[in-house]
Amino acid sequence: MQKRRISDYLMTALIWLSATATASILLIIVGFIFSNGWRLISPTFLTREANDTLRIVNFESESMVTAEIMGDLLVVEGIGLTLERDETYGIKVNHVAADAPGRHALDNAGEIFPIRRGQVLEGINEERIHGGTTLDEISTMFDNHSTFTFRIRQLGGGIFPMLISTLMLIFTTLLIATPLGVLAAIYMVEYAKQGRIVNMIRFAIEILAGLPSVVHGLFGMLFFSRILGLGMSVLSGALTLTVLLLPIMIRSTEESLKTVPNSYREASLGLGANKIQTIRKIILPSALPGITVGIILSIGRIVGESAALLFTLGTFARIPVNPATGNLSIFEAGATLTLRAFIEVQEFGNIEMASAIGIVILVIVFTLNLCSKLMTKKFGK
Amino acid sequence: MDVEIKLTKKRAFSEKLFHALFLSAGLFAVICVTAIIILIFTRGSRPFMPGNEYGTYHFFNFLTGTFWRPAFGEYGVGYMIIASLFATFGAMLLGVPIGILTAVFIAEVAPSWLAKIMQPTVELLAAIPSVLYGVFGFAVIVPMINNFTPNPTGYSLMAVILVLTIMVLPSIVAISVTSLRAVPTHYKEGSLALGASHIQTIFKVLIPGAKSGILTAVVLGVGRAIGETMAVILVAGNPESGVPTSIFDPVRLLTTNIVLEQGYATGLQAQMLFATVIVLFTFILAINLTLSKIRKKAVRI
Repeated sequence: MQKRRISDYLMTALIWLSATATASILLIIVGFIFSNGWRLISPTFLTREANDTLRIVNFESESMVTAEIMGDLLVVEGIGLTLERDETYGIKVNHVAADAPGRHALDNAGEIFPIRRGQVLEGINEERIHGGTTLDEISTMFDNHSTFTFRIRQLGGGIFPMLISTLMLIFTTLLIATPLGVLAAIYMVEYAKQGRIVNMIRFAIEILAGLPSVVHGLFGMLFFSRILGLGMSVLSGALTLTVLLLPIMIRSTEESLKTVPNSYREASLGLGANKIQTIRKIILPSALPGITVGIILSIGRIVGESAALLFTLGTFARIPVNPATGNLSIFEAGATLTLRAFIEVQEFGNIEMASAIGIVILVIVFTLNLCSKLMTKKFGK
Repeated sequence: MDVEIKLTKKRAFSEKLFHALFLSAGLFAVICVTAIIILIFTRGSRPFMPGNEYGTYHFFNFLTGTFWRPAFGEYGVGYMIIASLFATFGAMLLGVPIGILTAVFIAEVAPSWLAKIMQPTVELLAAIPSVLYGVFGFAVIVPMINNFTPNPTGYSLMAVILVLTIMVLPSIVAISVTSLRAVPTHYKEGSLALGASHIQTIFKVLIPGAKSGILTAVVLGVGRAIGETMAVILVAGNPESGVPTSIFDPVRLLTTNIVLEQGYATGLQAQMLFATVIVLFTFILAINLTLSKIRKKAVRI
C-alpha cells in the first residue's frame, strides 16, 4: 500500500510537471513574439510600404516664405510646412497645411508625390540635410527662395504590400477552392454509391492531406509556374494552395452534408422537386455553416502557409500590381505576411520585424480560430 | 403531352449535366494526386536511368551518400535520411510523453476551471504557423545552445528536435484529450470500484482505452515532424555533408534540402531534388498506411 502511494504521488508530480512545461513553453513563445515585436506596431505599420522611397520633388510658393523656430519645431510660413527634429532620422515633416503647395509637389518624372507628415527631409534645393543639421541652419535654407526642390524619403518598414498580397491570395484561392471542394463533397455524399470511384477519391484526398507542403510547393512551382507559364504569381500560389486545401474543404463540407437529415431530402423529393433543386434549395442551405467553417479553416491555413508559396507566390515585399497598367493583378508576384516573416529572419536576421509581423499573423489566426469555434458551437446542435 | 415529354427530357439532361459536374469536381483530387506522383516520379527517377541527358547517377550512391555537393556532382542523401529520422524520433521521444501527460492533466487531473482554460488554449496554439516556431528557435533556442555546445554554433540536431517537439505538442495534446474523454465512464467507475487508485486507473484503464486515438495523434505528429520545413530550416545549419554523431552537430534534412535549392536548381541538380521528394514520399506513404491501419483497427473494435 505504501509503495502504491509513493508511485501515485510520483506520477501525479510528473503529470503536473508535463502540463506546466507544455503551458509555459507555449506561453513563452507567444510572449516572445509579442514582447519582441510590439515596438514596431503602430497604426502606420499596417499602411506603410515595406521599403523606403526616395524622391526629388519640386514645387513653388506664391507667397513670401519665412521660417521661424518655435520650440522643437520649425514653422515655415508661406508653404505651410512644419518640420521637427527626430533622433533617428534627422528632420521629419511634422505637419502639412491643407493649402500647402507641397501637397501637389511633382517628382522628376512629372508625377505628383505629395509631401506628407512623417516623411524625412534630406535636402532642400542644393543643400543636403544630415543628422547633425540644426533647425537654425535649415531655416536659412528657405531664405530668398520661391521655388523649392526637396529630397524626400518616404519611410518604409510597414507591411502594407504583404497585407494586400495576403488578401489577394486568400480571395483568389477561395474563389477556386470553395466551389471545387463543395461540388466534390456533394458528389461524395449525394451522388456516389460506395464503390471504386468513392474509394479512389477518398484515397486521393488522404494522400493530398498527408503530403508535406514542401512537396506541394515543388509541384506547384513545376506545374503551375513553369509548365503552365504562370511564373511566380498570386494565381500560381492560389492554384497550389487549392490542391493543398482540397482535403480540408471536401471533408468539412462532407461532414455538414452528412448531418442534413434524410427526411429533408425525402420530403423535398416527395413534393416533386428534382435532385438538383433539392441540393440547391434544401441541402446546401442546411450545410452552409459547415462550408463556412471549412472556409475559415482554409483562410487560417493560407495565412500560415509558407513552404508551398515560397516559389509559387514569391517572397517580394511588393503589391502585386501590373507595372504597365498600375492595377492589381493576380499574374504578379508578392509575398504573404508569413513568408515575409520568414525572409526577414533568414535573410536579414531581423527578429524584431519578424515578430512584429508575427503579432499580426497571430491576431488573424486566433480570431479565425475563435470564429470557427463559435460557428461550430452555434450550429453544431 | 409533347411539352411534358420535352420537359422531362430537358430535366433528365440537366440532371446528367450536373451529375457530370459533381463527378468531375470529385475526380479533380484524383487528377491532382496522379499529376503530382507522375511529375515527381518521372523527374526524380531519371538520374538513375541509363541515357539521362544530364548524366546518370547510381541509385545506391544516392541513398547512402554522405555528401551533397552539386558543384562537384555529388548527390548523396544518406546523411539527410539519418538526420530526418533522428530529428523525428527525438521530437517524438520528448513530445509524446509530455503531450500525453499534459492531456491526462487536462482530461483527468486538473480542476475543471483550469481544464476549461487549458484545452482551448492548447487548441489555439496548434494553429500557430510553423514559421513563428522557427523564429523562436532561431532567436532563443539556438543562442541558448550556443552557451554549452562543443561546436562553433548552436545550429544543431538538438535545436531541430526542440523546435519540432514544441510544434507537435499542441496537436498531440488536443487529440489525446479528445480520445481520453471518449473512453466510456463505466470503465473508469469499474476500475475505481475494484479498489484501484485514480492514478492507477489513468495508466491502466484510461490510456489503454484511448490507445487508438493516442496512436493516431502520435502518427500524425510523426508526419508533421518529418514533413516540416520552414521552422527547421532556420535552426538546422544545413551543412553539405556529415552524418550527425552527436545532438550538437548541424544537420540537413530531406525537406530543407528541397527548399534550399529549389529556387535555382537546374539540370541534374533539379532532378535530384525530385529524387529527394521520392525518398520523403516513401516515408510519408508508410506513415499514412500505418495511420489507416490504426483507424481500421479502431473501427473494428
